[in-house]
Amino acid sequence: MGRIKEVEALECPMSAMIDVVFQLLIYFIITQKDETPEAHLAVNLPSPDKDAVQPQKKPQLLEIEVHPGQVLLQGVPRSVDMIQDTLAYLAKLDPDQTVIIKTNVMAKTSELVAILDLCKGVGFKKLNIMTLK
Amino acid sequence: MAKIRQTESLQTPVSALIDVVFQLIIFFVVTAAQDKDIMDETIRLAQSKNSPAVEKRDPRTVIINVRPNGQVNIQLIPLTSQQLQQILMASVAKYGNDIPVVIRSDATTLFNEVDRVLQTIGKAGLYRVRISAEAVQ
Repeated sequence: MGRIKEVEALECPMSAMIDVVFQLLIYFIITQKDETPEAHLAVNLPSPDKDAVQPQKKPQLLEIEVHPGQVLLQGVPRSVDMIQDTLAYLAKLDPDQTVIIKTNVMAKTSELVAILDLCKGVGFKKLNIMTLK
Repeated sequence: MAKIRQTESLQTPVSALIDVVFQLIIFFVVTAAQDKDIMDETIRLAQSKNSPAVEKRDPRTVIINVRPNGQVNIQLIPLTSQQLQQILMASVAKYGNDIPVVIRSDATTLFNEVDRVLQTIGKAGLYRVRISAEAVQ
């Protein structure tokens, strides 16, 4: 009877590596977060350049006051919807008009952002922030 | 002579699976946000409906995070107003005063805290200021 040679298995031990790879995959899936798209609302601060030539003609200003839970347009309390219509009308007449947003220190950022967003949405370009103390 | 039976291998073909898993891992590693350490994940931004999302950002941009309790940080490092001013002045000395500054303030943060940051920015001589909001389309 002939002698049968045993066939030796020469396989790499894959199971441990697969375990690690799957753990890595699970880690990355769990820690993956969608990046929030951000919009940047530009506001003007006074230029530090003191030698800058001041305009001779006083620009026409549109004043909006932001208080906690209340918005005033040219000193008159208005709802946000009414302000939107008025601002849209004014922006159509002169989109280069300077808008001064006077913000109460106790107002929340979301209230300021809502007005900035509104102004930008209707087409105003020159938005300035002032602080009401 | 005895008949030798051939041993049949019954292994699952895992090499294709491993290839796919490795590709997934490479995808996650590459797309892992580089800015994650810069963005303060605890801040919930106010929403903006009318402004488009920013796709390209000036690499010189200074991002200042303002938490609801008024704590100010850059890249998650808490800063006092003086430290913030020093950092901004160093940036001005290096890049000039036209570098953009983005304020990432939580929606619930009082404007008082944002105002302190705005004043510090003004003192440092910077004027290109942006307030960050979550772009909602």
